[in-house]
Amino acid sequence: MLGRAVTFALVGLEPRRVEVEAHLRTGQQPSFAIVGLADRACQEAKHRVRSGVHSALFAWPDRVITVNLAPAALRKEGTGFDLAIALTVLAASDLALAARLVEHACIGELGLDGAIRPVAGVIAAAEGASRAGLSRMLCPAASAGEAALAGIEAIGVRHLAEAVGYLRGEDAIEPATAGTSRRGPVALPDLADVRGQERGRRALELAAAGTHNLLLAGPPGTGKTMLARRLPSILPELSSAQALEVTRIHSVAGTLPPGSGLLATPPFRAPHHGASAAAVVGGGAVPRPGEVSLAHRGVLLLDELPEFPRPVLEALRQPLEDGVVSVARVGGRALFPARFRLVATMNLCPCGGRGDPRVDCACTPARIAAYRDKVSRALLDRFDLIVTMPRPRAEELAAAPSEPSAAVRARVVQAASALEPAAPRRQAAASELLDRAVDRLPLSGRGRARVARVARTVAALGGSAEVLPEHVAEALSYRSPTELSTR
Amino acid sequence: MTMRRIRRDERGYPPLLARIPDPPPSLWLRGDAPPALLADVAVAVVGARACSGYGRAVARSLAGGVAEAGAVVISGLARGIDGEAHRGALAGGGRTVAVLGCGIDRDYPAAHAELARAIVVAGGLVVSEYEPGVEPAPWRFPARNRIIAGLAAATVVVEARERSGALITADFALEDGREVLAVPGEITSALSRGTNGLLRQGATPATGVADVLEAIGLEPHTAPAAEPDDPACAAVLDALGAAAGAGTADDLSRATGLDAGRLATALTLLELAGRVAVEDGVVRSTIAR
Repeated sequence: MLGRAVTFALVGLEPRRVEVEAHLRTGQQPSFAIVGLADRACQEAKHRVRSGVHSALFAWPDRVITVNLAPAALRKEGTGFDLAIALTVLAASDLALAARLVEHACIGELGLDGAIRPVAGVIAAAEGASRAGLSRMLCPAASAGEAALAGIEAIGVRHLAEAVGYLRGEDAIEPATAGTSRRGPVALPDLADVRGQERGRRALELAAAGTHNLLLAGPPGTGKTMLARRLPSILPELSSAQALEVTRIHSVAGTLPPGSGLLATPPFRAPHHGASAAAVVGGGAVPRPGEVSLAHRGVLLLDELPEFPRPVLEALRQPLEDGVVSVARVGGRALFPARFRLVATMNLCPCGGRGDPRVDCACTPARIAAYRDKVSRALLDRFDLIVTMPRPRAEELAAAPSEPSAAVRARVVQAASALEPAAPRRQAAASELLDRAVDRLPLSGRGRARVARVARTVAALGGSAEVLPEHVAEALSYRSPTELSTR
Repeated sequence: MTMRRIRRDERGYPPLLARIPDPPPSLWLRGDAPPALLADVAVAVVGARACSGYGRAVARSLAGGVAEAGAVVISGLARGIDGEAHRGALAGGGRTVAVLGCGIDRDYPAAHAELARAIVVAGGLVVSEYEPGVEPAPWRFPARNRIIAGLAAATVVVEARERSGALITADFALEDGREVLAVPGEITSALSRGTNGLLRQGATPATGVADVLEAIGLEPHTAPAAEPDDPACAAVLDALGAAAGAGTADDLSRATGLDAGRLATALTLLELAGRVAVEDGVVRSTIAR
């Protein structure tokens, strides 16, 4: 007797079809074995499945049971196969169940009491099922809204008994509707709290509108981190295609709260400088998305940039340039999208006094050079906007609240949509100014291209259809200064 | 790299240098420029390694003005003021000479290896009395300073603490009977104690390029700095003047009433015109030419 079901394993973000087969035969000694390159968590399914079936008050077949996960060459990890394994074991001796089971993809973890628990990567599995031509998917009830995003009929089940009842045709379950979590009641920190810092705020607005990387340098206590944390509050909402990408990554990483549906707000990630390179860019024996991918379409904040280990910073260069992280493993290559706005903060010298005209910095040139050497020129080159934030004056701190995020966000949304179809073109006079600047200022070829991009954003924020010389001039003022490199 | 040697008894040995009490027996030159470059009218611009943003900006614009007027800028390739002096001369399209306290094939300090190459490419020279291969050592630097002073008709000290190597250069210049100028600084700043001390002893105050050029009998380069004809730029220069010549972008934004974007535009235009220098977020007006 043979039972079959279809489920999906994930390689990176890619779903791979896995056929689950259960074979029952009479033998001297009843047994239960799972074959097909299952990892430890997957092997332990034996115990969960057996207990789950008992708890659901179904009879456990006292036979020699072999469960095969095919293709056997693909590594299976995790607990998402539990539901498929339990159902195939039951289907092996229940024809009515078996007939409907093959029309469904299944995913979910079993509890000892037979409850079906949410697992990571449900949306990716659902997309795989949809592509494989399956029209329905059995999944944990908490993840049904997520699975429905893939355009599949998601049958959410809370308990193994409920799943069996549904498959036997005893109970009907309505497919779930796709869930969306729009900008929720969670209040983001607001820009109105940041007093003064006109230049820093302007750079933040440009970074939001044009998807630029931003480096905030300056003495400690000037509000660099405070400003950076307010970037999410002025970002436009994600388009539905972008939201789907983001939701998929977070689902696979297991950072998607159950029942949350489509993530429409740009993510914000701020890893600590103790994080490993694998945690930041992604990797591991079984490739998993890192912080750069979790920040896809959103913001990655690296606070105190020079404190991050050099290998971590250098590993950032590839995703910054390509917008994707490629993790190569013996078992294959996993690609994780990583198109994010990088916001970083740093001091100008070890003592922190530099950058304030009223403070005498006592750091020796050698110490300053050693401090700034921690951030390579190559990484520095990838920041479109570099701003030095001064210590705020007393009169600024006492001033009334500044412009709130909502007003800034309205401008950002307008500028972002102006940049979308066709970015503003550069006037001849503007190009002339750019050429003159390349001659006069230390500006690399890459630096010139970055300035040109920022100038387009400045023009779009100003509502101009063309890039004028004044826009280029403003963009030039945010270029990477030579002082941040060694001198 | 091209390396040559001129002995003291050879033609081409710089005549001014030959007149100091203990001229080096021979000079090693790196670069393709003719040795006659060392006989041209020259100004030494020297100062502290650990200098302020003010010192940096002044060194750069003084050296730029001297180079534009056609004189050679001489300095020691050290970090801080020396490096800025060389850079200013290069930016002014002029020639500059770096005198080392080690062999001319050594890149010392390592951070200025690129600057040394730029000096040679721009038709300048890297000079030393030591044979190629000689390592830098602290006791060689005072001896190097006598060559800096000896090659120059005038020495300008931009910033110096009380016991600074730049003061040694000034002493040599005085002994050689050359002009010594010092840039006045704030009397409360340790970095100005050496230069203000020189002024008290009778050094000529260097309050602009004109002072330096007058000391060596040269006319200032008459093309005036391009003044951006923009009311915002004028407002920024006014505000900088009222703030003792230095301020952050946000200070200027408040003082002029310009929003951050418009102010950024004005700052770049002024920077391209050579009227302001920005470092570590602090905007400084450059000195009048």
